[in-house]
Amino acid sequence: MTQINLNDLSQLQAINKKLAGGYHISEQDTTLWQELDQHIEAYQALFAALGHDLQHDARGFYYLASDESTPNMGKISRAIALTVFILIEYYANQGKDPLRALFDEQIDLELMQTLIQLNKHLFDQLEIFSGSDLRKDVFLRMLRLGLCKETERGFILLAPVYRYIDALMEVNEDNFEALEEEV
Amino acid sequence: MIPAKKVLNTLNEHWSVLELLFKRFKMSDFSIKDVQNFIKLKNPNWSSERVYKETNRLLNQEIIIPLAKSSQLEINRAVADFASFLLQEEHLGLAEEITVLVKDLQRLGERLSQAGNEGDHSELRRFSRIMDERVRKIVKLFQHNESAILNLVEQAKSDHSNLSLKRRYQAVIEAFDEYIEPMLEMVDIHGPFQACFSQIELQISEQITQIEQLGRGAHDKRMLEQLRTRILDMHLIGRESLGKSADMLMPLREELRRNTLITRQAAKVLGLIRKNGVDRMLSPVQPDFVSDIQRFNLGQKRHMVAYMASLAEFEHEEYQLPDHDDVPAYQSPNIPDYQDVRKSFSSSGKKRTALLGFLSDSYPKLEADEMLFLYQKLISDPDLSVTQSDSQESMQLANTKIKLYPFSASEHTESDAEKAKQ
Repeated sequence: MTQINLNDLSQLQAINKKLAGGYHISEQDTTLWQELDQHIEAYQALFAALGHDLQHDARGFYYLASDESTPNMGKISRAIALTVFILIEYYANQGKDPLRALFDEQIDLELMQTLIQLNKHLFDQLEIFSGSDLRKDVFLRMLRLGLCKETERGFILLAPVYRYIDALMEVNEDNFEALEEEV
Repeated sequence: MIPAKKVLNTLNEHWSVLELLFKRFKMSDFSIKDVQNFIKLKNPNWSSERVYKETNRLLNQEIIIPLAKSSQLEINRAVADFASFLLQEEHLGLAEEITVLVKDLQRLGERLSQAGNEGDHSELRRFSRIMDERVRKIVKLFQHNESAILNLVEQAKSDHSNLSLKRRYQAVIEAFDEYIEPMLEMVDIHGPFQACFSQIELQISEQITQIEQLGRGAHDKRMLEQLRTRILDMHLIGRESLGKSADMLMPLREELRRNTLITRQAAKVLGLIRKNGVDRMLSPVQPDFVSDIQRFNLGQKRHMVAYMASLAEFEHEEYQLPDHDDVPAYQSPNIPDYQDVRKSFSSSGKKRTALLGFLSDSYPKLEADEMLFLYQKLISDPDLSVTQSDSQESMQLANTKIKLYPFSASEHTESDAEKAKQ
């Protein structure tokens, strides 16, 4: 039986509020991240008792795992996934190291417009029609989920985006063939 | 013959210029103008006369030498080698170089043991010395290659994100495939190097025991012992150096592999998305987020207020079925019932002539289309037999003039008589 001293968990309220909203706490949220880092077991036990699954990813972020999603969140996640995959392809086409560029480069409105132009028919399916739509519907939401941070000129993706890269790699393993057979 | 000290002094004085030349042109050629420019660059307050003199000094001391049959210059190879050693600007050698040297070592080992067996001490010493030299050379090559790989790794890692991934890592992959892998194979515990070295070691040990037994040439014994130690040491150095190099290169290679994997995967998945649609492809794989706010809360205060307001105004409306009175009364068309028409037509007996004539006589009030409707019904009635006339007739029907091949009834025996009349 884990003994949890609530007095130790000084950031519990802030952490709960962020995590329950789907936010990913990564190293840039210094206070919360350090707090979680120090008391990870207590927090994990506490959240487990509340019916949540607090996950620590070794690439430097904490989040509540969930295997179901509200339809609205599902749609947002889909748009984010598409954007991340398209960014990878875009950087690779530019001859850049995609993984490095993904986390190093700023994504400004101009780039967003280019992405939309290049992949219009894909974004159309998600009702994203312009660069500013992309900014509003994807990047501002990613900001709210802790997947990116805002800078003067645009957005920079953060470590939690690895969840999408994992998802990308996952397509290979099982769903890929199954989906193709289904088609 | 140029005195060494003089050359060293010049090198010392002009080291910054030479370093620049070496870095800028590597092993390629350059013109005398380039040299003068560099000297001027490093010593901006020198007069052009002095610059000219210093350039000539470099030329005279053969630190830079003219290319054959050309006015271009190059750095003296000996100086270039020295500089590359000092600057650690080393280029990766080939695995072959080391292999050749080791094979040579093996050959020399055989010669050495042969000389020892024959008791030829001067030969023994000579081969021992050559072998010693070879071993030093191999160790130098190992160290040289190690620092070359370090350079490669640093270059690959340093930020050239505008350079293409493939080009950036090309050197790394080449180094791995052409040097590290063959070399690791060679120095493997069961590899050819090990066999070769243990053979040499055995040969030298044999010579040492022989010398001990014969009690001659204590000096040679010491030399052979040293050589044996050096060879064993060399093997160890080689293994360590290669291990270190592989450790440095491996993460980069992994990174490259991972990157190409991701790129390929992204292209593949996007291709599938294009074919199958975004929702269908991504729904099963996308990460899910906890969104308690959306699941358990209705929304913010303003959403609540709006919701309550619409609740307050809500009125239950019953669905009203229409009354019986509301149904408009059925208005039958002006056409008389067909059964009646049929009856009156059958009973009309001899009076009936052409069908249309009968109809217009019996129902003069009917419109032309209503009349035609009845006409059509009568001629398609299976109980009445009708015949169609061959000639076209035109007749007046109500207010309309029509042209047709009229049908006439031919039912009973009386009608046959009628037909004959017609």
